[in-house]
Amino acid sequence: MKMRSSLPFTFLGPTVLFLAVLAFVPTFYAIGLAFSDKTLFEPTSSWIGFENFAKLFGDRRFQNSVLVSLKWELATVSATMLLAIGLGVLMFEAASRKQRTFFCLVFLVPVLLPRVCAAFVWKFAFHPLYGIITYPYRAITGKPLDVLSDPMSALAAVGFVDIWQWGFFFSVIVLKLLESLPPQPIEAARLDNARPWQIHLYVTLPMLKASLISLALVKAIESLRSFDLIYVMTRGGPGISTETLDMYAFSQGFIESGNISYASAIAVVMLIATIVVFTFIWKRVNR
Amino acid sequence: MTSKIIGKCVLWFFALVVLVPLLWTLLNAFKITADLLTPVPKVFFVPTLDNMAYVLGRESVFTALVNSLIICLSAVGLGLIMGLPGAYAIARHPNRITQEIQFFVLSLRFLPPVAVAIPLMVIWLNIGLYDSRLGMIVAYSLITVSITMWLAIPAFQAVPITVEEAARVDGYGPYAIFFRVALPIAMKSLLGALAFSFVLVWNEFLIALMLTTSEAKTLPIVASEMSQLGMNVPWGILNAAVVLLSLPPLLLLGLLSGFLNRAFAQKAR
Repeated sequence: MKMRSSLPFTFLGPTVLFLAVLAFVPTFYAIGLAFSDKTLFEPTSSWIGFENFAKLFGDRRFQNSVLVSLKWELATVSATMLLAIGLGVLMFEAASRKQRTFFCLVFLVPVLLPRVCAAFVWKFAFHPLYGIITYPYRAITGKPLDVLSDPMSALAAVGFVDIWQWGFFFSVIVLKLLESLPPQPIEAARLDNARPWQIHLYVTLPMLKASLISLALVKAIESLRSFDLIYVMTRGGPGISTETLDMYAFSQGFIESGNISYASAIAVVMLIATIVVFTFIWKRVNR
Repeated sequence: MTSKIIGKCVLWFFALVVLVPLLWTLLNAFKITADLLTPVPKVFFVPTLDNMAYVLGRESVFTALVNSLIICLSAVGLGLIMGLPGAYAIARHPNRITQEIQFFVLSLRFLPPVAVAIPLMVIWLNIGLYDSRLGMIVAYSLITVSITMWLAIPAFQAVPITVEEAARVDGYGPYAIFFRVALPIAMKSLLGALAFSFVLVWNEFLIALMLTTSEAKTLPIVASEMSQLGMNVPWGILNAAVVLLSLPPLLLLGLLSGFLNRAFAQKAR
């Protein structure tokens, strides 16, 4: 079977070279930028060592954005998984074949929408005076409800849109995973008079543990791409209550001071944290 | 039995949570401002095509549409040319090196978009690719090549090895087997993978925001700018823009759901 052929080299060589150049050049350039004092307005810049990083650690706004990012990751990943498992099991138990196909198609829609669109759809639905989501509250109390300009609820509202996009998508995947399981253990549990929730809690979900962990990891990676939603819905506001790391880097580099080196330092911190954490977890999970 | 009915009701409730905001947006796209900005949501109204006409008639939208199409299709094309052969080589030659390459390709998804966009912006400014279609194509091909490759590996692994061996016995060389046997058999899944990568770049926002200012702006950027026209947010126009921007990914819904079904059917085997 093993036949020496040039195929792996001609097929992989150019691709790997292309990806490596495209990934490593910007990465090292970002690190270089982070150690200099480049701004968007001046053509020259010089090496300043760790100054940017030293500044970061005393920066309250940076600390805030780290905290917001961590909150965002934890909340969106756990809520997405809960919704996905709940709905996936529910489809598996309560829906017929035809209905499953229908629900799967419907639940795939949110994730396909451009995030900018999803953000606008919900921004208008949350509108304090004219939104449909806030309508019941307005009808009952007669007062407007402004979830997006309240620091307490703004992050939750944006997170809700993220979960709306990903939770439904993942519920389809959970259903497919359940369908791919061998039916015998489930039948056996049924014969022992186990209730549906017991079957899933003690039989099917443990069987799917590895897949579900991988799924949570994928969501954790995708949750890092929160920028579009936050940019459209709140721009990090009110104040800095929804300012995640990428939002803060963007506003440092492009909106406020044009301090591209400082923004780059934030991006590098984010880069190192994610690569180290995710490589470690991924290799452990998929061993 | 009652629990099944309750379960169905819950499922329908969640289906409505998905559909109602979207249908509402679709309705709003055909409302005049007076029908749109009402304290009590208005379901019945006289529809207008003004919002759609305004969006479609703007030159900036047309330019952005052309940009989006050229940039996304080129990036997907690069994903096809570079990703598929690479994926095939990894699928058919599993060893330490290809495993490491596979992980490297996946780990590209770990890169935070800001960490790519900021340095790329400075580099593109230096070499004159900033705000150009070419610059955007190169940036997006990092996304399309890696995702296409990642999704195409299982698709090629699903091609029965016996078929390839039969072709070899018939005197096909390794390249002929790839082009005339593996590609056609895996075609359906590969189309799904390409559609997926298209949706990713069509929807992409952050990189486009940082790498363009006027010439090479893509549709999501132009759509997001519509909220800044004049003093009041023109919600009717914005809703129309949202509907138009969402159409291409939604047209691929069938293809992508078929891709998911095949991917998991393969897992069950």
